[in-house]
Amino acid sequence: MIKTGDIKGCLAGKILRIDLSNKKIWTEETKSYAEKTLGGRGINSLIMLNEIDIGTKWYDPENLLCFGAGSLVGTMTPGACRVDISTINVFSGGKGSANVGGFWGPELKYAGFDNLIIVGKSKKPVYLYINDNNIEIRDASSIWGKDIYETENILRKKIGDEHIKIACIGPAGENRVRGSAIIIDTAKAAGGSGVGCVMGDKRLKAIVVRGHGKIAVAEPQKFMKALTKCYQKCKEEPNAGMMRKVPFNLYSDPEWKGWNTNIVIKNGQDDQWEKEKRIKLMNPITGVPNMQKGTRACYLCPIGCMPFMEIDKGKYKDDKGEGFWINTIMGHACRFDISDPESVVESWLLTNRLGLDGDYVAAGLSWIFELYEKGIITKKDTGGLELDWGNSDALIKMIKKLAYREGIGDLLADGIVEAAKKIGRNSEYYLIQVKGQPSIEPFRIPKGWALAVSTSPIAGRHLRGATMGSNKYGPKPRPGNFNVTDYKNQASGVVWQGKTKELEDNLGICNYVGTWSGANFLTITDFAELINTGMGLNLTEEELMDYYAAIGRNLEKAFNTLHTNMSREDDIPPKRFREEEVKSGPYKGFKINEDKYNEMLNEFYELSGWDKKTGMQTRSDLEKLGLKDIANKLAKQNRLSSN
Amino acid sequence: MKIIRNNNLCYACKTCQLACSFHHTKSFWPERSSIIVSRNPQDGTIKWRIKSTCDKCIDEEEPLCVKYCIYGALQILNKNANEQEVKDND
Repeated sequence: MIKTGDIKGCLAGKILRIDLSNKKIWTEETKSYAEKTLGGRGINSLIMLNEIDIGTKWYDPENLLCFGAGSLVGTMTPGACRVDISTINVFSGGKGSANVGGFWGPELKYAGFDNLIIVGKSKKPVYLYINDNNIEIRDASSIWGKDIYETENILRKKIGDEHIKIACIGPAGENRVRGSAIIIDTAKAAGGSGVGCVMGDKRLKAIVVRGHGKIAVAEPQKFMKALTKCYQKCKEEPNAGMMRKVPFNLYSDPEWKGWNTNIVIKNGQDDQWEKEKRIKLMNPITGVPNMQKGTRACYLCPIGCMPFMEIDKGKYKDDKGEGFWINTIMGHACRFDISDPESVVESWLLTNRLGLDGDYVAAGLSWIFELYEKGIITKKDTGGLELDWGNSDALIKMIKKLAYREGIGDLLADGIVEAAKKIGRNSEYYLIQVKGQPSIEPFRIPKGWALAVSTSPIAGRHLRGATMGSNKYGPKPRPGNFNVTDYKNQASGVVWQGKTKELEDNLGICNYVGTWSGANFLTITDFAELINTGMGLNLTEEELMDYYAAIGRNLEKAFNTLHTNMSREDDIPPKRFREEEVKSGPYKGFKINEDKYNEMLNEFYELSGWDKKTGMQTRSDLEKLGLKDIANKLAKQNRLSSN
Repeated sequence: MKIIRNNNLCYACKTCQLACSFHHTKSFWPERSSIIVSRNPQDGTIKWRIKSTCDKCIDEEEPLCVKYCIYGALQILNKNANEQEVKDND
């Protein structure tokens, strides 16, 4: 365990605090927070839990917008570039969090800050300029209303330093569209939880950072030795080449298994896309891969998964930019049944440029397309647009309507749960959402995936435990027959993967480089060695997983319990996937069996140290984690398990 | 001896810059690096240069920038390399 004063390295040292209402700027020491949580997201969660009063809404000035670069960010750890952005989740009212890579997080640390906590609300649009200790709240009238590219170009010209790093919102965030992202370094989106909507609500357009300082480690030579091992592993990993070309490598093959297990068609009508459409979209010669003009890496990344796209024919010819991910295929192609490669790339670039979250666009708008198909809404509601499946022009127009709140876009901008209430007529049944946030995830086929998405504390996203069993290191003991479509052996995989993600977000390591994917670059053993030599600690792998990772998850769980009415019901997959079967393909007939799902959920709760029946936290487990004060808070609200 | 970079292999991850700073300062301090990397985030164009402070990591087995470049984009050319070879790779 970490004791007071133990931490001797890796931290920048300060947390920067800014009050936008009163234009106040101050700092505090990071150490005491890092001693409890290791850093990054853990610090954000702790501050939110300590400082946000029950009853506070996302749009209240008292809501905090927290940025946390992980404790290994700024060192030379492979993949250590990630930033957690936490705030009240605009969809669930509970914990919101989005995680993003790029170069902004390391720059924040070189400027001297591990975390940046913003409170209050400005009367007029502003942006922050953090240049080491020189911090200014500046007028943003020249960039308000501009898209991401324009905003960055104006700021770069105005500041005149090519090394500045920018986090900003687009028109969507300014317009308080719920599914808005904060975009870092032009195209890396902190998408979920509506973090861009909160930033827009605070009238904060951008945060520009420039740092000239250093990050020192406790034992430089030992740390470098540990790093050398990590770099060697990255060089030797046979999957590295494959990871570098995801999704182009894998999904260019129409027979790739991911096409059968991970894809949801037409807002959940089926989980199988026709092979000719897969080929049309991802043909290496005529499809999306042909538009990839280059690839770049985030800071210190040994994978390099950022494709630069350029559309070379059709009506969107010459548009270019960064980004095309598996979510683009899952969301912007399959969900709308659009296989035209140029349109799919364009819709993704546009989503980014307007500062929208890709998953919100995909899940929210595909729902509207289905309502159009079912006749629940008509051309009269859509402003004349024919929202037929496969109509890419309509999708692109709808994205703009959403970002600028035009026509039906205004209705959707306030969240699709609210929109369904207004529309009525059974529209709610077709809504694919978890804890209020629209979701593009597959539920009927990969069962552990369904469990992780449904139980995610940040509502309906897969990175808090979803597993395809691709990591060769965990969990221990390794389940014998791991089959993604089975209900057995899933809960332990989900808990393991969720815990490793806690560590990755606290340390700031990309989970592609860490434990999530098939690359198998870094493991918990590496994390322990880097923390111990870098921060001057003496932690075991077990302490990391069973104590610090568990603290991270419990802080978010407690925030949700205190700030919302979430219960076991909110950890169940959307109704549609419990009622309708997959219609075609090798998994035809699959749907969520509620009894078996509930057994899996019981096991998940038990392994997490929560009450098996209600999913509520228990005093004994919280006290084991040193979280007695949180147990007391929960008990005071009558929201602690009596068992 | 000259350190050269193959633009076609470089991903602009800046590991070389940070490794270099460790050589100079025994900490991670990009501003004290002999390598400067900048990347245009909108089109991915990379600018990369070595400053005169580069000592080729005189006390190391090999320059740290070359050692830690995961993409194999950096390499050492000896004195006899012809000019074309340098140009092709720079």
